[in-house]
Amino acid sequence: MSRTAKPSLRRSTRPGSRPSKRGASPLRLRIGFIAIAMVMSVFAGRLIQLQGIDPNQYAQMAAEEGLDRVVLPAKRGEILDRKGQPLAASADGLMIVANPTLTAEKAPELAALLSKRLDLDYFSVLERLRAGDSQFQYIARQVPAADARAVVVEAREAELYGLDTREDPVRFYPARDVAANVVGFLGAPRKSGAARPNAGFESSFNKYLAGTDGEASYQVGAGNRIPLGDSTVVDARNGEDVTTTIDRDLQWYVQQVLSQTVRGADADSGTAVVMDRQTGEVLSLADYPTYDAAEPEKSPSTTYTSRGLADPYEPGSVEKVLTVAGLIDAGKVTNKTRFKVPSALYRQNSPITDYFEHGLINLTLAGIIAKSSNIGTVMAADEYERGELYDYLTDFGLGHKTDVGLGGETRGILPDAGAMTDQTKDRIAFGQSLSVNALQMTAAVNTIANGGVRIDPSLVLGTATLNNGTQVGSGVATERRVVSEDAAHQTMQMMERVIDPEVGVAPGAAVAGYRVAGKTGTAQRVGGECQCYADGGFTVSFAGFAPADDPRFTIYVVVQNPRNGGGGGSVAGPAFSKMMGYTLRHYGVPPTGTRPSRLPTEW
Amino acid sequence: MSSTAPQRRTSLPSHAREAVHRARLTVVPRLRTRAPRVPFVSLVSLILLAGVVGLLLFNTSMQQASFTASKLEDQASSLSARQESLAMELDQLRDPQRLAVKACALGMVVSPTAAFLDIDSGKLIGKPTAAVAGTCNFEPVIRPVRPAPEDTLPSESLGAARAAGLGSGR
Repeated sequence: MSRTAKPSLRRSTRPGSRPSKRGASPLRLRIGFIAIAMVMSVFAGRLIQLQGIDPNQYAQMAAEEGLDRVVLPAKRGEILDRKGQPLAASADGLMIVANPTLTAEKAPELAALLSKRLDLDYFSVLERLRAGDSQFQYIARQVPAADARAVVVEAREAELYGLDTREDPVRFYPARDVAANVVGFLGAPRKSGAARPNAGFESSFNKYLAGTDGEASYQVGAGNRIPLGDSTVVDARNGEDVTTTIDRDLQWYVQQVLSQTVRGADADSGTAVVMDRQTGEVLSLADYPTYDAAEPEKSPSTTYTSRGLADPYEPGSVEKVLTVAGLIDAGKVTNKTRFKVPSALYRQNSPITDYFEHGLINLTLAGIIAKSSNIGTVMAADEYERGELYDYLTDFGLGHKTDVGLGGETRGILPDAGAMTDQTKDRIAFGQSLSVNALQMTAAVNTIANGGVRIDPSLVLGTATLNNGTQVGSGVATERRVVSEDAAHQTMQMMERVIDPEVGVAPGAAVAGYRVAGKTGTAQRVGGECQCYADGGFTVSFAGFAPADDPRFTIYVVVQNPRNGGGGGSVAGPAFSKMMGYTLRHYGVPPTGTRPSRLPTEW
Repeated sequence: MSSTAPQRRTSLPSHAREAVHRARLTVVPRLRTRAPRVPFVSLVSLILLAGVVGLLLFNTSMQQASFTASKLEDQASSLSARQESLAMELDQLRDPQRLAVKACALGMVVSPTAAFLDIDSGKLIGKPTAAVAGTCNFEPVIRPVRPAPEDTLPSESLGAARAAGLGSGR
């Protein structure tokens, strides 16, 4: 380049009068142009690179510069009782974290402050504040936001640095153990900050409760938001509340009575269900032993599930009510049909006996129920066509999950019609050789109370969506007629005789002033080392409803393996009486004032 | 371009010069309006200054508003956190177990029966009965799954457990 320029330089110097200045100009111009061209081509290349080759990446990088993103956490829905009292609620919370490289120096002062303000153990906090080789230590999690901020500010004012807070929502259970088996609890959150549901509604309605997190992004300069800068906000969609059908006060009382009953009878466990007759709503679902949802780690994990739904057991004599209701509906018998009941019934390989010794006695069907005679029930059930009993029991809801929204439910065991031998059928007629869960059985007995129409039980008021997308709740509960109104009425009359102090077996279940209909159950349990009936003890229970002539509530109490020698009438009956009395008063149900049934039990 | 005109003029032959001179157009003297410049300049600079200062003030006030907004937002969130934690405390105080224990300590008992008064007919339904004073014998919130058999416990610890109210139901 410079070579081509030289001749022109000479040419212009030779003739010119103003040699140096005029000759130099074009040369410098060209050098300048070339230099500019070179710079411009670099710019052009860069331009092509930016705009042509990968424009999006650079555009994004430019946007990221100075853009701050904030996750807007969705608030988890509450779990409420039927009156709107919280059983599980959320509050803004923060975790307090420390950077030991900063806190180690003044660790004792800081630990003293933290342990005093937040009720923490001084020594474990001290250890964390001094942890070597670490820049991140949890000090406290799920601290209510107001408290956490106050502590951090206080520490800063005392010139103790190295503490910070992060989002960590608090889930709390104000009623503690009340309805804990229904509500469930949230364990310590995952690393990602997502909730870790454990048992109960917290688990089965997790998606519904959780909602969706939102996000806000805006431009930031020197730590402050730039006014009029770009900002986008995607609002969080808060989780939905789940309103249960549980009545918190009633639930507490039922748990108290159940606990006293189970412990008083030196039993293994117990379940009690209180159901609104008209709607099938479960006002109380109590389990014992239970746990404190606020401090679940203090109880063994076996107490977390709801036994009322998860544990199958043989219902025993309570099931006789379903057997005879079906018989009356099928037109085979009435509650006055007479039976000659022998002292034992020899069939197949083992004789069927009653719990009380007797010779040949003349009982009506009402007498068979009032005295809870196995032999009489089997004789009556002989009237069934093949497979008919199975159909009735299926209609009553046995062998099918109630699907109220709690996980881990057992469907029970109802041998199907084909597999039901005569021997099995005989045993099923009085409540052995089949398994149920407590809620299934409550719904079945409630069918009698409700004039023969079975209503799906529900634990959710209105509707809520399970994790798998199905809707459950009282809003989608269906009804179906199982037995005729007359059959239900006749069965009710027989059940009322069970409470009669003269002819019945469970006078202890009476509620002063009210007409009560019910049935005891004392079933042999499979258990012990041999996994046979001999060592398993008993399942004692009582199911009933009141007022008998216009039922409002159905209550079922089941106690597993009492060691005090009590039966359904003596253990579960009094518990039923207390619960029913309380429920009737709680809801202001006046006595109907009519006379109880005087159905003949003998002839 | 301006430099080419005088060059051409100098290269003309001398006889033509006069003709050219005659034919040449004379420049009309420029009409200078002697309007004073100072007000205009000061007006413009004033507008400029006002604009700049205004923009600055506007910007500052926006920034100030933004600070205030963040401060108020912080205050709102800390107040709502405070409200939440107070509501939480209240909910915990409403715990049925707690209420029952308190009520019992005041001598209140669960009524065994209830009577109803029909306002329309003035009829009394049920038998009103006075409640009987009872003992405050509530099951503890956390209950042992099954208390260990008594003979396996050393007598001291059993006594301690009883004192702690764990054995109240047995």
